[in-house]
Amino acid sequence: MIDGTRTRPLLEVQSLTKRFPLTRGVIFAHSRGAVHAVEDVTFTVARGRTLGIVGESGSGKSTTARMIARLIDPTSGTIAVDGTDITRLVGADLRTLRQQVQMVFQDAYGSLNPRQTAGQIVGAPLRVHHVPGDRRAHVAGLLERVGLNPEHAARYPHEFSGGQRQRIGIARALALSPTLMILDEPVSALDVSVQAHVLNLLTDLQDEHGITYVVISHDLGVIRHLADRVAVIYLGRIVELADAAAITAPRHPYTAALVSAAPAQPGTGTGTTRQRIVLTGDAPSAITLPTGCAFHARCPKARLISGDPHRVPERCRSERPPLGPDADGRQLACWYPLESGDDLIGAAQAMAIPVSGAQA
Amino acid sequence: MSPPLLEIDDLTVHFPSAAGPVRAVDGLSLSLERGQTLGVVGESGSGKTVTFLAAMRLLERSRPEIHGRILLDGVDVLTLPAREMREIRGPRIGMIFQDPLSALHPLLRVGDQIAETVRAHRDVGRRDAWAQSVAALAQVGIPNADERARQYPHQLSGGMRQRVMIAMALILEPDLLIADAPTTALDTTVEAQILGIIDDLRTRLGIGVVLVSHSLATVADVADTVAVMYAGRAVERGPCQAVFAHPSHPYTWGLLDTVPALGAERSRLVPIPGSPPSLIDPPPGCRFAPRCAYRFDACTRHLPELVERGGGHADACVLPVPGRGARRNRLEPPGEEAAA
Repeated sequence: MIDGTRTRPLLEVQSLTKRFPLTRGVIFAHSRGAVHAVEDVTFTVARGRTLGIVGESGSGKSTTARMIARLIDPTSGTIAVDGTDITRLVGADLRTLRQQVQMVFQDAYGSLNPRQTAGQIVGAPLRVHHVPGDRRAHVAGLLERVGLNPEHAARYPHEFSGGQRQRIGIARALALSPTLMILDEPVSALDVSVQAHVLNLLTDLQDEHGITYVVISHDLGVIRHLADRVAVIYLGRIVELADAAAITAPRHPYTAALVSAAPAQPGTGTGTTRQRIVLTGDAPSAITLPTGCAFHARCPKARLISGDPHRVPERCRSERPPLGPDADGRQLACWYPLESGDDLIGAAQAMAIPVSGAQA
Repeated sequence: MSPPLLEIDDLTVHFPSAAGPVRAVDGLSLSLERGQTLGVVGESGSGKTVTFLAAMRLLERSRPEIHGRILLDGVDVLTLPAREMREIRGPRIGMIFQDPLSALHPLLRVGDQIAETVRAHRDVGRRDAWAQSVAALAQVGIPNADERARQYPHQLSGGMRQRVMIAMALILEPDLLIADAPTTALDTTVEAQILGIIDDLRTRLGIGVVLVSHSLATVADVADTVAVMYAGRAVERGPCQAVFAHPSHPYTWGLLDTVPALGAERSRLVPIPGSPPSLIDPPPGCRFAPRCAYRFDACTRHLPELVERGGGHADACVLPVPGRGARRNRLEPPGEEAAA
């Protein structure tokens, strides 16, 4: 693996923001606000390393991934790959970028053309980018590398299992020898027993080719397995960014809830005695963002500080906490980060909506 | 002694196909006591969903050949006439499906869909049914239930829709709730909420719950007993704590090893090699043998039955390894890399 510490990071994302405008009316279209999908997201990823982005549905993690792959344009902010600002590339330059940055999608079946054979699908990037050489041999090599039988190149997507389809998607992404791969929920549609094969394949490919990964997932176990650093995103903003090893000892209350909600660890025998921090309600709307900290309405730690399950400190409601380093160098956006001994489970239980009495 | 709430006895479900019968479920026995949660775990195609669709008698259109017994409070639902079965589905057994969006009618308000269930089974007026429907939504922790009941499925989030399904399944106060992978499509934080609600209702209403999932870790928090299914059969079953901490079937070991754990040191995952067998022409002997790193001659000769190993913990494996219950002491599988 190439040492990323002395060179410039492969991927630099600065103040990335995406707002989807909401309009009403056809002829006299007028704005009625915007969906704040991604707000002021900044991070870097060193060459050959993996950044994991974790968050709930609607947190903006896939939007971030799509902006890095230039599938959608950011509202503001910059993205640099290998030192080059790619935010506004067009034409031939954008096509060159597409060779460097490839994406693997969650829904392998939906992202493969059902009327093309596996060989045509994997060979398409080679054809589009006029890669010289024996394409058939190249495709066979790619299929073999991802663990598929090259003789199956003539088969169609529906003839493969879910795990095999995801391998086809990975082979296609690999075809142009990218330096950066964006993996959007690469295994969440797969059976647990198939997940492991695909995760191992991704690890091997990174070791062999020094590819930089950005992995998006709502599964902290998967993120923890693949990533070197983890960004936790809530309502479009990074709330905690730390080394993968440190994420199991979170300091942001939202990360703590995610960690506690992750399925129990097998073989430890703790399964049936463990308690989870159950968050109340859904994430707030990204159209009318809450004032102050976006998490304050669901935050158990804020209740611990105020000492009242129905109140949060004034600061959490009125002032948005900036993302900044704590003493250990992790990035954190919280006025009252977790301290050891905080009883978040108790605080979360006190907040829970009282479920009404027995059935009428 | 009263019979268990649900007892499945040597159930076989074979679907006809051009290539011969598909043995979706093949000799499955399970039981569940009132007030308890049974976790049923297995890969896609292991027969877990088919088993409970059979218990609801929802398979009849595919004309399967069903043998064995499915006893609800001692009564075999497989022999009941269709008319009596309608009084089982809903009033006695409630079911939650994996994908709430396709299980809900897109053009009806959710409150009406729940009220419709009430009116189909009880002699109540429209207003009364609506009030019950709103109360049921409140009971599963939906805030502003009154307002939410007037909304359509697409206006609700995934977690909300699943709560609507739970409310609908429980409104007739069934004795048994079957939840078929109720949290697969949901975020982990929402999954925790939904499992919490189901567990809370189980303790308060004293119902039995069957929780079907493809992940052992998901059911570990709430299940009292667990059954691990493979290729239409139970390969291991027992108290959740025992199965989770001391799994004794190699397939269960495999299932646990494939999951990237949060706390553990990052190490290479050990996937189960190969893929599940054909259910039309299953391998001779143990169905898991072709993928099992520990197999020997006997495995391919006999189909192992579940054997009790103490404390209600049973497995269907002939492996004679001493101290097999202690997973950490197990043998290193031979040629692990070669097998993949």
